Amino acid sequence: MEEHVYDVFARKERGDPLRHIGYVDAMDDELARVYAWTTYSEERWFEMCVVARASIIPVNRTDGPYAANVLGGAS
Amino acid sequence: MTAPSKITDPMELPEEVRDALERLILGLADAKRVLGIRYSEWVLGAPSLEAGISAASMCQDEWGHARLLYAMLKRLGRDPVVVEHDRPAEAYASPSALDASADDWAELVAMIALTDGAITAVLEGFAEGALDLAANRVPKMLAEERFHSDMGSAWVHSLCKASDESAGDTLRDSASAILPGLLAWIDPQDPASQLLVDSGLMQTGDQVRERFLAVCGPLFEAMGIDATQVAADRSGWDAARGRGPGCPDGETIERARGDRNRMLFVE
Repeated sequence: MEEHVYDVFARKERGDPLRHIGYVDAMDDELARVYAWTTYSEERWFEMCVVARASIIPVNRTDGPYAANVLGGAS
Repeated sequence: MTAPSKITDPMELPEEVRDALERLILGLADAKRVLGIRYSEWVLGAPSLEAGISAASMCQDEWGHARLLYAMLKRLGRDPVVVEHDRPAEAYASPSALDASADDWAELVAMIALTDGAITAVLEGFAEGALDLAANRVPKMLAEERFHSDMGSAWVHSLCKASDESAGDTLRDSASAILPGLLAWIDPQDPASQLLVDSGLMQTGDQVRERFLAVCGPLFEAMGIDATQVAADRSGWDAARGRGPGCPDGETIERARGDRNRMLFVE
């Protein structure tokens, strides 16, 4: 059972910008949702989302955590 | 169940109905308290850091809900502090599925996924009954629980798909072992449970079982268990607690009561 990195984004209030608050390792999307909520529950979030890091497409950088995705690789 | 008019003061109910209501609330509260302990045993030692953090979070939720449920007993003239701290293990009304610690993660997954579904089904049946206290408090509790069933469900599906088949086998065997007792706990089919139905305080056992099978249906399907064909095990039924024989291990209940640090308890 392989784990993947999921980045976690959240906003405190409606209208706030969605910001990156951290990441979790999870085997699938469902567990990523649960882990994100339980790991970052110290704040009262209006909205929280997770996205598989492998699905993030970098725009202007060829280094950093998403660089592998340019080359068609996964994190 | 007849369309219930709301009951705001349970002390106005006949004594035998109050006793049945107390048994129901205690069963739910004890189930959440012991389930919380079972989660806590895997905060360290879970398959991943995230899984351990989730177990810690869910443990806190369960204990918070247990506290709310114990507090409901005040409306029945019981002192919740005494109920929480002075009862022996033999008095606990939690389902037998929670009596012993899980030996491994797959066993824990079976335990949490099924007992969580069972508790949810009973809580929903209770919230739709005539007691205003249940209608007011239970929906918030259920909303806070939504990630618990997601966690159980995701892990059941992962273990069933695992290349190491022994994890899926352990999961299936554990679920099969606890299911008959759990079915009896959610649908006691005894005079006390019938009194609750007749008083409009609780949905029928068939309705609660149907809810449980609906909630856990995809899990049973993944595990290859035909739950509709499993009979409830009511052998050695303990009508005082609304469960089968046995009880949680003593060490678990010592932790639940906080015995070791009781001298530090300040009201």
